[in-house]
Amino acid sequence: MRLKKEFITHESDGEQILVSSDTAAFSGLARSNSTAAFIINCLKKDTTVEEITERMAKEYDAPKDVIARDVARIIEQLKSIGALNL
Amino acid sequence: MENIRFVVKLADTPIEARVLHESTRQFLREYLTEEAAAFFVAVTEENIAYERQKADPKYHFTDAYLETLALYRQISAGLLDYDTLLFHGSAIAVDGQAYLFTAKSGTGKSTHTALWRKRFGARAVMVNDDKPLLRMTEQGVTVYGTPWDGKHRLSSNIAVPLKAVCILERDTKNHIGAVSPRDAWPMLMQQSSRPSDPAKLSQAMRLLDVLAAKTGIYRMGCNMEPEAAETAYRGMQ
Repeated sequence: MRLKKEFITHESDGEQILVSSDTAAFSGLARSNSTAAFIINCLKKDTTVEEITERMAKEYDAPKDVIARDVARIIEQLKSIGALNL
Repeated sequence: MENIRFVVKLADTPIEARVLHESTRQFLREYLTEEAAAFFVAVTEENIAYERQKADPKYHFTDAYLETLALYRQISAGLLDYDTLLFHGSAIAVDGQAYLFTAKSGTGKSTHTALWRKRFGARAVMVNDDKPLLRMTEQGVTVYGTPWDGKHRLSSNIAVPLKAVCILERDTKNHIGAVSPRDAWPMLMQQSSRPSDPAKLSQAMRLLDVLAAKTGIYRMGCNMEPEAAETAYRGMQ
């Protein structure tokens, strides 16, 4: 899976903003914390849930099941706004 | 179909345009120039059909009018490369400094700047009542008049340093306060042109960061009484 090319991230004041150039599909603005931003950045290339979880585990000092849950939750949210090509 | 070409200068950038309706050249007459163009745009029948599809179906718009919209869409996309952004709002200058009021349609931007003209008389000049252009530089932001100036046709072909952006909301009493760029971001995003090309959208967002950093950003609750102008002006000094 990967982030659709219409979805653009922008760093403003140290915070990541996610918007879509296709406003018919998503006209909002999503703000991401650092974990969500990390996951979104991983999704700029074709990847898998497992791969993202691995990369997260290297970056963040947290139990793997916690990380896996976070990844699953963020991916669900991205799916709900139509941001992913599955 | 005619093939009409001219160069129009908007936000200090000369742009060559090819259009289908002579009325469009007339619409832009105060902005025509003989200078060499920085870039080129062309309106086609397809572009006009696209504007018709986006327009309110309750009204019938002429092709000539829709052509002006199609042209501005292309021009504003091209101007992003010149650090210039189309912004939806009513911009007025007082004593050589501009204030840009933005709000959801129907809130009363134009009504509010009309109160300013009453309050400040000859000290006030309308820059543009609907869709001015903002040019961002390291030194600050400049607001430019354009002929896309709303139903009351209020604009001047001038460039004025932009002092503040004010988000208007209706209220029974008048009050104004500064807001953080973070709080203002969704509204700034909504009120500026949102190009459908992802790279251009990124550029538009970079320009909004400059806008938020270089001008004061305020939120105002206002009524339609004359004192609303006084509250707004004082609140932004």
